[in-house]
Amino acid sequence: MSCYITSVGAALPERIVTNAEIARILEVTPGWIEANSGIKERRWVSPDQAASNLAVKAMQDSLSSAGLSSDQIDYLIGCTLSPDYQMPGVAPIVQHKLAGCRSIPAVDIRSGCVGILYSFQLARSLVESGAAKLVGCFGTEAQSKGLNLSHNSAELSMLFGDGAGAMLVTNDIELSRKSGCCLRVDDILIGTDGSFAEDLAIKSPGTANGANWLDTEAIAAGKHFGSMNGRNVILQAVRKMSEAAIEIAERNNVALERIDLVIPHQANANLLKALCKKLSLPEDRVVINLDLFGNTSSAAAFLALWQAVRDERLKSGMTVMILAFGSGFTWGAALCKCI
Amino acid sequence: MLPESVMSFLSKAAKDNRTSLPDANSSLFLAGVLDSFSLVDFVSVIENECGIKVSDSDLRPENFDTINKVETYIQRSAVHQ
Repeated sequence: MSCYITSVGAALPERIVTNAEIARILEVTPGWIEANSGIKERRWVSPDQAASNLAVKAMQDSLSSAGLSSDQIDYLIGCTLSPDYQMPGVAPIVQHKLAGCRSIPAVDIRSGCVGILYSFQLARSLVESGAAKLVGCFGTEAQSKGLNLSHNSAELSMLFGDGAGAMLVTNDIELSRKSGCCLRVDDILIGTDGSFAEDLAIKSPGTANGANWLDTEAIAAGKHFGSMNGRNVILQAVRKMSEAAIEIAERNNVALERIDLVIPHQANANLLKALCKKLSLPEDRVVINLDLFGNTSSAAAFLALWQAVRDERLKSGMTVMILAFGSGFTWGAALCKCI
Repeated sequence: MLPESVMSFLSKAAKDNRTSLPDANSSLFLAGVLDSFSLVDFVSVIENECGIKVSDSDLRPENFDTINKVETYIQRSAVHQ
């Protein structure tokens, strides 16, 4: 039995934060931000918007694109690093806010930028086993609410934007053919090396912080903000994504030069250039929208997939590869065929 | 001594960044010779030119921070591989 991505959707906050605006806050220059990331602007949520609000809109967009209704979804998988609350997860909140959605299972995946691949893998298992016919997957972030906007964190905070992307996964090829977006998921490869867990982290609130998972000491130390060993992230990201691309291509007897389109996590344009160089991949075969939306973590690859559909870059017969790397470290690739 | 091809990569990186190579114990990053992205290329050059594979656990910037550290790493890897 095969599994298909039958439609995609997106939701982006209205507020555009240009490099000029954030550069003033971070005490850097707009040119420095663009040169070091490729980002020109990003979207930030308003104070009354939470990650779930964006996710609901993205899910509605994906349902509308497929001509489906929320009561047809059998399972909901949500990916985020900036949930509405510490508990419960964002998926149950989206299940509640998504009008018409039945009392279906709703689960969170907290694998950051690789969430799309984990949700693929789970959704694929569900539809292939017959446990679900239609699975709704989304990645959503309202991470601007947790950025350290001091100069010392400029390298990290300049990157992030808010947004949500969604997709519907099914085993029904007829449903997929009607929707205008039909990607058959042929293989998924995911790896993890937790020895790098501290190289990209938000440590508090967390139970490894002594007696309390969040206290004034942790806040004073900035443990509630993200921290990154940027050099290590880039070194490992290029290696792990390129190795994943090579391995998944080899085990499916597909030459890398036959990959028609790569849809990567949108981390940093310079990192994507390094990845292209490592894989001898022409840059025009890579979907990039981080210049407009920044790094939206769990939502980024979902939004890149949505961009590819929106720009009509997916053509029947194409071989498509999705690549991602994120905190953990965890990384992976998915190989798809455009039907 | 580092292989000539590895040294010439560093010399070119220094020239491209309008700086000069630091002494063997000083940081290539602080000197502006290497940055996060050129480090990716530097590791590839080391692997290709020295015939070694930098293991995942060794793939850390601190192992490639100075000319001496790179030299030590290459010698150690050549023995183990």
